[in-house]
Amino acid sequence: MTLAIAERVDNRREKVVRHFALTDTIFHWACRLAAIAVLVILGGVFVSLVSGSWEALAKFGPAFLTTARWSPVTETFGALAPIYGTLVTAAIAIVIAVPVGIGIAVFLTELCPRPLRRPIGIAVELLAGIPSIIYGIWGLFVFAPFLQRTLQPFLIDIFANVPVLSDLFAGPAYGIGILTSSLILAIMILPFIASITKDVFDTVPGVVKESAYGIGCTTWEVVRRIVIPHTRVGIMGGVMLALGRALGETMAVTFVIGNSHRLSASIIAPGTTISATIANEFTEADADVYVSSLMSLGLILFFITFIILAAARYMLLRMGRQAGA
Amino acid sequence: MTTIYARRKATNAMMMGLCVGAAAVGLAWLALILGALLYKGLAGLNLAVFTEMTPPPGSAGGLLNAIYGSVIVSVIAMLIGTPIGILAGTYMAEYGRFSKLTMIVRFINDILLSAPSIIIGLFVYELIVRPMGHFSGLAGSVALAILVIPVVVRTTEDMLSLVPNALREAGTAIGAPRWIVIRSVGYRAAMSGIVTGVLLAVARISGETAPLLFTALNNQFWSSNLNAPIASLPVTIFQFALSPYQEWQQLAWTGALIITLTVLTLSIIARSLTGRKEGH
Amino acid sequence: MVSLEKVAPQNVSDRSKIEIKNLNFYYGETKALKNISMVLPERSVTAFIGPSGCGKSTLLRVLNRIYELYPKQRADGEVLVDGKNILDRDQDLNLLRTKVGMVFQKPTPFPMSIYENIAFGVRLYEQVSKSEMDERVEAALRRAALWNEVKDKLHSGGTSLSGGQQQRLCIARTVAVKPEIILLDEPASALDPLSTAKIEELIDELRAEYTIVIVTHNMQQAARVSRQTAFMYLGELVEFDETAKIFTSPREKRTQDYVTGRFG
Repeated sequence: MTLAIAERVDNRREKVVRHFALTDTIFHWACRLAAIAVLVILGGVFVSLVSGSWEALAKFGPAFLTTARWSPVTETFGALAPIYGTLVTAAIAIVIAVPVGIGIAVFLTELCPRPLRRPIGIAVELLAGIPSIIYGIWGLFVFAPFLQRTLQPFLIDIFANVPVLSDLFAGPAYGIGILTSSLILAIMILPFIASITKDVFDTVPGVVKESAYGIGCTTWEVVRRIVIPHTRVGIMGGVMLALGRALGETMAVTFVIGNSHRLSASIIAPGTTISATIANEFTEADADVYVSSLMSLGLILFFITFIILAAARYMLLRMGRQAGA
Repeated sequence: MTTIYARRKATNAMMMGLCVGAAAVGLAWLALILGALLYKGLAGLNLAVFTEMTPPPGSAGGLLNAIYGSVIVSVIAMLIGTPIGILAGTYMAEYGRFSKLTMIVRFINDILLSAPSIIIGLFVYELIVRPMGHFSGLAGSVALAILVIPVVVRTTEDMLSLVPNALREAGTAIGAPRWIVIRSVGYRAAMSGIVTGVLLAVARISGETAPLLFTALNNQFWSSNLNAPIASLPVTIFQFALSPYQEWQQLAWTGALIITLTVLTLSIIARSLTGRKEGH
Repeated sequence: MVSLEKVAPQNVSDRSKIEIKNLNFYYGETKALKNISMVLPERSVTAFIGPSGCGKSTLLRVLNRIYELYPKQRADGEVLVDGKNILDRDQDLNLLRTKVGMVFQKPTPFPMSIYENIAFGVRLYEQVSKSEMDERVEAALRRAALWNEVKDKLHSGGTSLSGGQQQRLCIARTVAVKPEIILLDEPASALDPLSTAKIEELIDELRAEYTIVIVTHNMQQAARVSRQTAFMYLGELVEFDETAKIFTSPREKRTQDYVTGRFG
């Protein structure tokens, strides 16, 4: 190779190197900005909710949280009924779905015949991805009429003369209402809880379980003494995630909650949740303070779910670290 | 000794019975829902659904404009959300692998991933609809894009993190700058995983209703105008299901069936893509 | 006793290619290399040996600054390649790596075809026509003694090859971008004896054109392929000399103990 050619090659390399330095910087920054965009979105959600809520919060003050009066006509709004409905429906849903979900996970990891394990596991995971509007429409047309004919009259009758419980199950059987919403939420988050729990159960090392079986433990004892303690944090994380979902769920609830701002002790009475109120009323809201009140509801929901989800992620993170260690 | 053992065995039998029961009951409910959906949805499934517009109350028609609107809004959402998601995931797994920013973004992204979608709707209302003064398809797309981003970020980061460091070093050692290593080695090796993430994101948004209610709103007619309200399948289902009209309710069921089949198909394709990779 | 037949250097210049002066290396707070100084001659094979964790791979990874991929790893001191300090801040890393190629312990074919595995690196810095590229690919594969085995399946995936073939593909890939120095990080430790022998033969052929540095934990291998050997221990360079000397009459007792298998 002559010197001239060598020099030309070197020149070209220099040029390419400068080009690479530039393109790499551009791509690096594009990636970094995209990552920052994720933060900006969450920040933007917070800021826009606060600014949207400002008018209502300024007008009603802390009483917004503690009054149940919701009157578009007089433009007085209080969030108590939707907050109550949100918390109660989510709580009932969790109480029902968690034991059943864990039961499914135990079934899948310990009891299910091997050839069925994968198909059922996959089916459960697929069901976790079904859009919530499907649950809503089913609830409205199939489940609510069914409850109206069967479970609700039964509950009203059986507890009619029992103190406290008679209040809990009072009133006509509408079909729709708090209890119906809770049950639908429970069904909806069930595959979700089952698949997360199954995943964390799978992190228990086989050797640990085998040694427990080896000293003569029954399946239940292995689950109770080895698997569940080992995965407690992860299960909690999964439950919190499911809780976050139940709290914020809109479509499965909106169809069957009844959209009533009247507080009632009865869980078969119609009620409302934060998300259902927003979904039902937002496009009809004409007055600014009405829109702002709905924004305030959104802000409250944002706070509640943020805390729950942050706790959930923290727990799953701890679980991951344990599994990694 | 034997009584203790007998009691333990009895407890075991009972608890295991409960677990089997839980599985049976839980799966039965889900089967019931899918059964009802198939039964009611299939009853209204015919060609008109795909060729005719949404009807006025009390008359027959189809879902064509709603399906079309959904496709448009979703495609735009994917076009906005996918690049941002992939780039952000790339930052987290490559350039910023060890940075503090990555840890914060990962945490916030996970929260965004499960944040109630109706809140995203409110955000986009404040961000776009209110300043523009009217509902629009674009606002709907932005809302859905915000749901797409966390899904894609998560899978992209996970999949790129699975690419062995040795491969990254080998690309670097040959003199390739970082971005070419990422493009030609990282993305190639993680391709099926990233595609899975994108498909899951499509599945996720194709049934989303809440964030569209007050962004894209709805439109009874054929429209491709992103600057105006646009129909979408989920919002149409919502509206029709809650109406008192028989034809509308039937269309709602059929629409629900179409959405479910779409979501299931996408999820199964997504699964089979990564499933094959695991098989290697 | 190890065989030393191949050690005798023929036609090697004694011009120095790499000069390391007072090199220190840190993983965060931990000092992994302590004040290393040595001179590696051009067109010859130098082996780094020593027990695991002695810093031999770390030293190798300084020579193309691949450690820059990770945070909290840094080097100070000087590493002169052709008289220029590559640790300088203004040293372009990509350019450095085209000059100093590297082959890793595990074969690392890129997720693309055999042809593309080689063309990829060439295309980065050079504009070559299709026919030129074909020639370059063939030349590189021939250089790595792989051509006959893969010429009929150039467009199938690089991962479809056997482990030994993959490693030779990686060598071909490295050679194709025309480096001056080739770093080999335990290139045969993941391979079977037959493939190892092929790699060693290859190293023997390449040394006429390239300055080669090889890290190995296999002392026979060091003895077979290298002209000079550096023995490292706990981050220090204990002894650096002609390979024959290191293996027959080392000055240091620690070297003696290691090469005779008393520890490590």
